[in-house]
Amino acid sequence: MKNFFRQYYSEFLREFTLVKGDMGVLIFLLLLPFAYPIVYSLIYNPELVRDVPIVVVDHDRTPMSRELVRRLDATEGIRSIGYATDLADGRRAMNEHKVYGILEIPEGFDRKIGRLEGANAVMYCEMSLLLRYKAILVGATNVMLDMGAEITTERIDEIAPLAETISTGGLMPINNISMGNIEGGFDSFIMPGILILILQQAIMLGVGLCGGALREHPYKGGAILQGSILASMLARMSVFLIIMIVPTLYVVHYVPLMFRFPMGGDIWQELLFVTPMLFATIFLGFILQGVVRERESVFLLWVVTSVIFLFLSGLTWPRYAMNEVWILLSDCVPATWGVEGFIRMNTNGASLAQVRPDYINLWILTGAYGVLAYCVQRWVQRPAVRRALAEQNVGDINLPGDAERSV
Amino acid sequence: MSPFFEIFRRSTLQLVRRPIYWVSIFLLPLFCFLLLSSMMENGLPDKTPAGVIDRDGSALSRQITQSLDGMQLVDVAEMPNSFTEARHLMQEGKIFGFFLIPENFEADLLAGRGPQISFYTNMTYYVPASLLFKTFKSTALYTKAGVASNTIASVGFTQDPAPLLQPVNIVTRPISNPGLNYAIYLCVSFIPCVLQLMIILVTCFSLGQEIKYGDSSRLMQMARGSIVRAVAAKLLPQTLIWVVMAIFMESWLFGWQGYPMHGSWLWLTLSEVLFVLASQGFALFIFGLLPNLRLSLSVCALTGILSFSIAAFSFPMQSMYGAIAIFSYIVPIRYNYLIYIDQALNGIDIYYSRWWYVAYFVFMLLPLTILPRLKKFMVKPVYVP
Repeated sequence: MKNFFRQYYSEFLREFTLVKGDMGVLIFLLLLPFAYPIVYSLIYNPELVRDVPIVVVDHDRTPMSRELVRRLDATEGIRSIGYATDLADGRRAMNEHKVYGILEIPEGFDRKIGRLEGANAVMYCEMSLLLRYKAILVGATNVMLDMGAEITTERIDEIAPLAETISTGGLMPINNISMGNIEGGFDSFIMPGILILILQQAIMLGVGLCGGALREHPYKGGAILQGSILASMLARMSVFLIIMIVPTLYVVHYVPLMFRFPMGGDIWQELLFVTPMLFATIFLGFILQGVVRERESVFLLWVVTSVIFLFLSGLTWPRYAMNEVWILLSDCVPATWGVEGFIRMNTNGASLAQVRPDYINLWILTGAYGVLAYCVQRWVQRPAVRRALAEQNVGDINLPGDAERSV
Repeated sequence: MSPFFEIFRRSTLQLVRRPIYWVSIFLLPLFCFLLLSSMMENGLPDKTPAGVIDRDGSALSRQITQSLDGMQLVDVAEMPNSFTEARHLMQEGKIFGFFLIPENFEADLLAGRGPQISFYTNMTYYVPASLLFKTFKSTALYTKAGVASNTIASVGFTQDPAPLLQPVNIVTRPISNPGLNYAIYLCVSFIPCVLQLMIILVTCFSLGQEIKYGDSSRLMQMARGSIVRAVAAKLLPQTLIWVVMAIFMESWLFGWQGYPMHGSWLWLTLSEVLFVLASQGFALFIFGLLPNLRLSLSVCALTGILSFSIAAFSFPMQSMYGAIAIFSYIVPIRYNYLIYIDQALNGIDIYYSRWWYVAYFVFMLLPLTILPRLKKFMVKPVYVP
């Protein structure tokens, strides 16, 4: 037992100096979680899509049709940039990427309202982006309901004075409330999830890269070469955990603070929640070491997984609508549970008890990946490093520590 | 054998021999094709779990619950008794929104006391919440219209009440994607972006390997000192493979998956081919600036991943901050996406997309500026890890 602790201690020191001097690893562990959230948040920071340009084709040319255009223009989502003579003209403006919607008001629009025949205007929407369509749709619906209610109020007195409550909204007021991300901003929706993914990817890439370094410089192998694998794993895990304290705190707390994302959760409970995710992710990094033969191959194999994990996490496409295969696969990714739990804690103010299933799943993954990581380190990484050492000893001209010191 | 062909043969063998190339050229992109398009094959997520708090328990409130449950996009999974309970269910992720019918709803409604209906959507989950919002709102409006027309009839109005209750109607017509299919948005942009990511990574990786292992001087000898010959012959095998992949991707998306294709196949195919060359040119340019395996790969990984956001597939470029939006134009995928919108989704005249095609050529010519610098490094490779 004493021997175990001695090994743990020496492994800890060895790994710490190794990581400390390795710029490549430090970039992933420290710079990436620092810079990425800022860059991403800045891209999406305007939060809402405002003033989508539309063009109007007005065949009616009456005060009523102009009123409609004015009201649409006054909404948050829509901006009318002018009139077109006919639909073909409007279409040309759309083809030239100047507008993303065409409002066509038919002849007799005003007259039909006057006669209570129901007047239809048509809004053609360009569909390249869902958010743009949504901005137009929400604006058009609100104008339609407001304008309709006013006209109905005016007219209803003529028909049935008693029925006035129908129109003023008094009959049955409808009230809608957004919860969590109350302004419905895009940044506030996507970033809390992305933050967790960044954390996972940073750790996995950093740890994976360390494995590649060992195969290239096997003489630094320490206990991987000879000694207790368990002590080595625990020691190296401690090193990564210590390094990740500041980035984790920054990502979980300060980034939402800086960019004013909803912050409903308790920071200590959130930190408690992400802890098993860090464990599971470090173990996954140890597993990744088994397949990384040289440091640079991590890029080729691992960068694209960010996209895969993003989709598997259910952030863009909800998990309940996935098929079984993808659900099963996404169950195995720590970030899936990390994202699920964290966004509900951070944005909806859920407590740790309320994200219990996600928390338990993270611990299950920690256990499973811990065992798997041990196997990989024992039966894949150790022979590989030993082999590499043997090969290097044949015609060794490398001096220890020559390569890592510079970028 | 001509020097060009010799290098071509050598780099083809390099590609074939290392499994990492097989994985990154075929396995990973194809996996992403499959993942994205099969995940969203329904177009919209059906049956979003929702709750109804029925504090009234009347015939009308039960009818509302039933009609909500009957909607395709909603599944009334829970019937919480109170607001607090519903909020907890939402925090636990069991429901994504709920509909609140107050006490004495039916009685108040018929007596004209104006009971208020509320619905709550959890905007933490954007897509499910938006779909719930839509369904909740229309259900509330239909209910209101139903009661209103009864009330009008009761005071002796005998005509069709609909034009009175909704005198103005704005019909939205989503062009080319009437079903608001979500896969059309995400697959046609994200899948080519995956391809771009892998193209730039593999390009830098294969060139960086030459310098890392000191083989680049040998490469330059084989090319008889011509950097253009060396680079062209080195990258051509990859170009051919990537072109095949890009055309496969095009047929996958617009053929088999049946995403909107309203233009000319010729122009779209041309765009895919030029896209491959532009991405390689982009990567070559980065490598020329930073002829170091790890550094250039880091930059490629950074731009490749940021492309997914900065190329504005989901949040429009026009809504970004101006100083950030300009970066949208520095990645090849942006042009691939714009051409897809013009030529496939909207099927408009090629005239309107002419500048997007020109941009591809700019990316291809970009490396010319750094070739002399690259030559220096290739002749005397220095591996700085």
